[in-house]
Amino acid sequence: MSRPMLGKAGIVVIAVLVAGGVGLSGQRGGGRGGGGHASRGGARTSVSGGGNRSANVSRDTNVNRNTNVNRDVNVNRDVNVNRDVNVDRDIDVDRRYDGVGGCCYHPVARAAAVTGAAVATAAAVGSVVYSIPESCSAVTVNGLTYQQCGSAWYQPEFSGSSVTYVVVNAPQ
Amino acid sequence: MYPNLLRKTAWATAFVLPLAFVSCNRRSVESKQPVAERKNIDEAHSAVGTTGAAIPAQPGKSSAAHGSDAAMERDPDAIKALENMSDYLRSLKAIQVHVTTSRDEVLEDGQNVTFSGTVDMIAERPNHLRAEVINEKQHRMYFDDGKTFSIWARRVNYYATIPAPPTLRELADKLTGQYNLELPVADLFYWGERRSTADIVGAIDVGASQVDGTTCEHYAFRQDGAEWQLWIQQGNYPLPRKLVITTTTDPARPRSTSVMTWNLAPSYDAAAFTFDPPKDAKKIILAETPSGDSQ
Repeated sequence: MSRPMLGKAGIVVIAVLVAGGVGLSGQRGGGRGGGGHASRGGARTSVSGGGNRSANVSRDTNVNRNTNVNRDVNVNRDVNVNRDVNVDRDIDVDRRYDGVGGCCYHPVARAAAVTGAAVATAAAVGSVVYSIPESCSAVTVNGLTYQQCGSAWYQPEFSGSSVTYVVVNAPQ
Repeated sequence: MYPNLLRKTAWATAFVLPLAFVSCNRRSVESKQPVAERKNIDEAHSAVGTTGAAIPAQPGKSSAAHGSDAAMERDPDAIKALENMSDYLRSLKAIQVHVTTSRDEVLEDGQNVTFSGTVDMIAERPNHLRAEVINEKQHRMYFDDGKTFSIWARRVNYYATIPAPPTLRELADKLTGQYNLELPVADLFYWGERRSTADIVGAIDVGASQVDGTTCEHYAFRQDGAEWQLWIQQGNYPLPRKLVITTTTDPARPRSTSVMTWNLAPSYDAAAFTFDPPKDAKKIILAETPSGDSQ
């Protein structure tokens, strides 16, 4: 599927995100800083069934979800200027980043903070991120898939229809 | 009196902007035209009205709905139409539907941004499903082969499976309740099992309307947390053709829209519902929603 390219506008948005994201660590709580594009919820897509209702109740807790308008900006992948802060190189649509889907129906109900991009050196176990660095490699342990990024380990999972990555201890 | 008024208007304009006098005068003449046309339309309307055939909304009802304090109307005919549609859906053993979707997301400052996508789905009673969802955020495939439900994230090539319940409706329940995962156009699975209408507090028949060139009857419903509109195809095939849901729990009132194109004689084989993971696809878990659904 071809992805929409936001071009220069996207770069500008990314730049803003990066500026706001420097120092953004896995422990950071509250809304995502800097970007200004975090979503507080979205339109429900069905009017039937009990599950949908409960999902809607929890919608307001999803403030941290990063439904950034710029998430698809592949342009940024080659702009490694900020690689040392581990912020923008994660935006690798094709390999690691799967986009945060449907927004409201799958709150990442974790006590830990949710950040838009993994910061490998500062990630706390239990944190949830929506993308991981490109340099990570998939490792299968006991039939489950992990992503190893240096000394950090992530366990990808479906959270609703979205793929998220939970920071875990190195699997035994 | 009317031409008099026009002349006065023209004079006033001419006084302020002399150069515009000529064109303004011409407009005055033209402005008589719409009045005459409107008269004709009014006559036409009342003519149709006396036959009583094509005007579903009754004037008394619609004017009552304008006031916010007015009692909400629950038109039994609109409810009946919904039930008829459900009965018809239930009579279909297999369906194929193509859906174009759009969905608002509300940014933290209350601004709506709209994302678009498509859904292609084949469903067979009681528990076979194949659906492909493509939108600006995701590319997903969903399968239910009767025993196992699978979700596959194509781009990142992850998949997860869970045991499938006996029917698609139960699958929809399980996914939303236990996994916070909503099947695409999930309402179809509920309508197809004759969804209860008890939670619908408002129902009106808006009138005839076209969806993709097909004449439909347009209904509007209200329930706790949502206002929704449904376009049901007129005639012998009362299919849902368009669904618009407005979420009322957020002051930004985000909307989702689904426009459906149906194929009632789909061709497929049993293998279509079975997910055969590609060799390099990686299995991950489908995370259960923590109980209490709180953060």
